[in-house]
Amino acid sequence: MKYRFIVEPWLCTGCRTCELACAFSHARNLKPGRSRIYPLAHAKDKYVPVTCLQCDDPACVKSCFFNALRRNEETGAIELDLGRCVKCMACVAACPFGCALVDEVHDEIVKCDLCQGDPACAHFCPSKALRYTRLP
Amino acid sequence: MVTIHINGKAVQAEDGEMLLTTIRRQGIDIPALCHHDAVEPCGSCRLCMVEITKKEWNGWSRHVTSCLYPVEAELIIATHTPYLQELRQTIIELYMARSPHSEVIQKMAGEYGITQTRFQTVPDGDNCIMCYACTRICAELGCFAISAAERGHDKVISGPLREAPVDCVGCLSCAQICPTHFIEWTDDDTGRTIWERRFELLACKKCGKKTITKDFAEYQSRKRNLPMSYFDICDDCKRMELSKTMGRIVVSAEEATQ
Ligand code: SF4
Ligand code: SF4
Ligand code: FES
Repeated sequence: MKYRFIVEPWLCTGCRTCELACAFSHARNLKPGRSRIYPLAHAKDKYVPVTCLQCDDPACVKSCFFNALRRNEETGAIELDLGRCVKCMACVAACPFGCALVDEVHDEIVKCDLCQGDPACAHFCPSKALRYTRLP
Repeated sequence: MVTIHINGKAVQAEDGEMLLTTIRRQGIDIPALCHHDAVEPCGSCRLCMVEITKKEWNGWSRHVTSCLYPVEAELIIATHTPYLQELRQTIIELYMARSPHSEVIQKMAGEYGITQTRFQTVPDGDNCIMCYACTRICAELGCFAISAAERGHDKVISGPLREAPVDCVGCLSCAQICPTHFIEWTDDDTGRTIWERRFELLACKKCGKKTITKDFAEYQSRKRNLPMSYFDICDDCKRMELSKTMGRIVVSAEEATQ
């Protein structure tokens, strides 16, 4: 892995720009997708942008019996191959952080794919709480 | 990588991948009911047939199921010849006779401009087209809970000895993959029913939302070494917990630096 997605929650203002950026960059058939990231308040006016942690030992990958979830070694993201997914909900239930999601609009399972190496959320985050940087 | 020719266009393809994969990557739409990336191809629906030839075949050609035919260098492929279209129409008509009530088949017939079948209809024909997608996905899972029982006209997919499948974990993969939506299941307040078996659905310990069956969670836990505690709460509550945990870390770090 050459890159790392960095979240600095103390910079997050809860503006939800990341959510918009994600939903629109994952739009299909002119319909925005379910956002794979969004700020959740843990105290008044204190937010944590919650998204997939791209775990080193991912429970979602283990839980999928159909190899639909695999690591992209270049970007570090665990990507979901929709062609192999049968919506058994194993990953949704197994991820300890709840970051494999059901997109009701498209009737699909979705998760953060780090936008193939150019995460829209990090691009648009006005307070730089989200960054995607090359590892030294 | 090898070069093949699809409908007159030179195309790069992975050596050994199935033709259907290459064809679809080109955005060419050919019908295929029994194919799914998650299972081994079996070539039962015959809809994905294409015409193949090679320069050195002296004008001879073959018709093959593209989902089962591995790419070879210099193949020349046609996907929509009049003969192929006729072939597909015949197959669709056969399915119309077999499964007269299937919306999926009717839709496909509509796309091919077919209004009626020339074959004798099975009036009470169900929507199972015997493609084995369900048994193949269940095998992929490692459960092998269902298979074909009986012979000929009486053939059905079911548990062993036509009884409720003891090895089923109620994951719904079979129902989800079934191309004609034949496999029925129901979820209600007290659990899930599929293949005449009743399953307990896990409920989130925080909000009560139903997740997957207890049997499926236990199966994952056993086969994939996942702690059962992973299934205690639902994805919504887990994300909230993540926010709270990270929030606590931020707050204590802020306090430490003050
Ligand atoms: S829902 Fe899809 S990606 Fe998730 S475990 Fe099931 S088949 Fe794999
Ligand atoms: S629901 Fe039962 S029969 Fe169907 S794929 Fe899952 S384990 Fe197999
Ligand atoms: S998809 Fe090839 S035979 Fe069914």
